[in-house]
Amino acid sequence: MTHSLELELKQMIIDTLELEDVTPDDIDPDAPLFVEGLGLDSIDALELGLALQKHYGIKLDAESDDTRQHFASLNHLAALVEARRVK
Amino acid sequence: MKASTRSPQHWARIQESGTVIGMRIMVWIRRRLGRWPFRIMLGLVIAYYYATHSLPRRASQDYLERIWLCRTGHPPRWRLWLGLRHFWAFGQSLMDKVDAWSGITPSVTLSQEDRSRLDHAIRSGRGGVMLVSHIGNLEICSALSDTRDDFHVTQLMHTRNARKFNRLLDRSTLQRGPEIIEVSEITPATAMRLAERIESGGFVVIAADRIPLNNDGRTRTFDFLGEPALFPEGPFRLASLLRCPIYTLSCLRESDGEHRVEFRQFDDTTALKRRDRDTWCQDAMERYVSWLSNQCRRYPLQWFNFFDFWHCHELTFD
Repeated sequence: MTHSLELELKQMIIDTLELEDVTPDDIDPDAPLFVEGLGLDSIDALELGLALQKHYGIKLDAESDDTRQHFASLNHLAALVEARRVK
Repeated sequence: MKASTRSPQHWARIQESGTVIGMRIMVWIRRRLGRWPFRIMLGLVIAYYYATHSLPRRASQDYLERIWLCRTGHPPRWRLWLGLRHFWAFGQSLMDKVDAWSGITPSVTLSQEDRSRLDHAIRSGRGGVMLVSHIGNLEICSALSDTRDDFHVTQLMHTRNARKFNRLLDRSTLQRGPEIIEVSEITPATAMRLAERIESGGFVVIAADRIPLNNDGRTRTFDFLGEPALFPEGPFRLASLLRCPIYTLSCLRESDGEHRVEFRQFDDTTALKRRDRDTWCQDAMERYVSWLSNQCRRYPLQWFNFFDFWHCHELTFD
């Protein structure tokens, strides 16, 4: 994962979810984003999904994609973006 | 799941009654023999159903009692007759469903204002969320979308209840109806798909009067027809995330058989701030419940939630 994409994603998460007290450095790329770690919930996941769609044109398939897997950590998210981004 | 053995009253647990074969016979009668033979048969089926299915009958009686108290200040006088009429209205809505999806054009009226609102909403190209309920006849609304090329409707259903009926319609009728997305929970993938529809100017139809089966605690209590009832937050959360215009849509049958479609501006979440969402949710749900009460008062017999609406939340779902 390139450093710039990592930073970009961190910033996207912070902006999208309006995490006011969080800086990009606070997000551990390996740590779980949900429940533990950043403590995001299922509504946040929806919002993050919409942000990914908007910024990178990512599509997820409800049938075949394991969203939990893709959203497990920042690294997983970055891998998804690298593999599927269309913009 | 313990709750289901103790009490099967959560709506998603109630099987739509009648075998597929019986329903196919009804569709056949409607389409081959016409309206009147069908009505007679339907009357018999409804009377039989009313006599033999105590859960929906009790739910209906309970509801009718409430709504009559709200409307007139006293309980209904002709309970049996009213109950049968309530069930008949439901049977009628099934017939309309068959008609609409068979390509028999239902007679639909829109007031001048509603028509121009709908027209404007479609032409704006911004799409939106249409909040609906289980009052009246939604299939007619969906059938409306067939009449215009630029009106695209995606209906969100979190039920397996109606699946049987829809499968039957698929087999028996020529048209497929609107796009239906069936979900038990909203995942990011679903949200993205819905956002895509709206992005391209389409409308997402969501019923906001039934709590999801896997009650995740995302419900709020509101006074509804005189007693607290639970309503799902989900549709409103989703509407706030999708950042688009929100409308209410209903289709109610008038006594002369005309279907009156009402399409109203409800809100717009485009500029809604994240931190204001919670407050918005509460306010929007309050307005939705009051819209719902109003519909019930005006068309009391077209309430098609035949389960214990007020008490099903006492169950615990695990």
